[in-house]
Amino acid sequence: MADEFIKGFGILTGAGLVWMVLAGWYQTPSFFMTNQLIAPPPEPGNVFDAISIFLIDVFLWTAILGALTFWILIPAGREAAAAIESRRESS
Amino acid sequence: MSETDTTDDAVRTDGSGETGIVAPDDEVPTWSERKERKAGLPRLTYEYFERSRREDQDLRNESDYVERDVLGFPTWPHEVIRNLSISMFFVGMIVLIAAALPPSLEAPADPSSTPEIILPDWYLYWSFGLLKLNPLNPGLAVLEGGKIMSDQLYGVLANVVVVGAVALLPYLNKGSARRPVEQPFWAAIGVGGAVFSITIAALAVQNLIPIPLPLQLNIVFVFPVVAGIITYAVLKTMREGYMYGLNRRYYMLRPPK
Repeated sequence: MADEFIKGFGILTGAGLVWMVLAGWYQTPSFFMTNQLIAPPPEPGNVFDAISIFLIDVFLWTAILGALTFWILIPAGREAAAAIESRRESS
Repeated sequence: MSETDTTDDAVRTDGSGETGIVAPDDEVPTWSERKERKAGLPRLTYEYFERSRREDQDLRNESDYVERDVLGFPTWPHEVIRNLSISMFFVGMIVLIAAALPPSLEAPADPSSTPEIILPDWYLYWSFGLLKLNPLNPGLAVLEGGKIMSDQLYGVLANVVVVGAVALLPYLNKGSARRPVEQPFWAAIGVGGAVFSITIAALAVQNLIPIPLPLQLNIVFVFPVVAGIITYAVLKTMREGYMYGLNRRYYMLRPPK
């Protein structure tokens, strides 16, 4: 259980850090507004900007779905497998 | 489990088997029994240290572990290497974030004009957030919608309530538990209070948070309760197993012989 926690936590913090940096570059017009990190990104001027803007959402969803996978999906799957196994043995 | 129960009498330094350090549960006095003793703190302290010292001595005498007969990690290199790696990680994170995310330098403060939004230092945001509870100041029907007290007095009274609750806590619970699992209810109260201090501080900077005010007011009071319930449930489920039994024995002080 602790292993799965630190895996999900590592993905959450690691991908979240990259998301925060990239969103700070492209989606933060000002640090004194409510739309920092979530403002619409500008039109990419070159290929590096385009890749970075594309990666913002990739890392955001990696952080969210990665944590959910290791904290909820995999433990729930194991619980379900164990329940099915015990029911099969008892019957 | 059956393996450890049937080990021989050899003393082990790795914690497995029967070391003789920890008394069985039924021999350990409860806290109420311990409170009834009139020996006083100096006597208790003396007995505690003398007993642990003697047990350590006995264990070393009986130990056949030659290479390292110390019960613990040496400061150098083990602890120093660990602390260095932790320190370097956090320093590296600070450098990385400072380099990757330089915040913009705003215009210097203008002392001749008061800014539109006045804020205290960040550690007083919780108190400032309590002053901003005026949307919750109820209008009473018997007063035809009038308020029983001004919004300013309402905010000050909210501070009185919170500070009073914190001041009351030591009289309700002395905090003799060393770990949250030992008193899940009070741990849940503590987590709820910590979360409330964050949510109420976020209310102070409401203008920087992209959530409508009514929803945020709900979050301010619902999140601490939810966090407290989750904490209580998690800690209650943790009250079993090998580690909990071990911790519980250390929680009750070893009895003096």
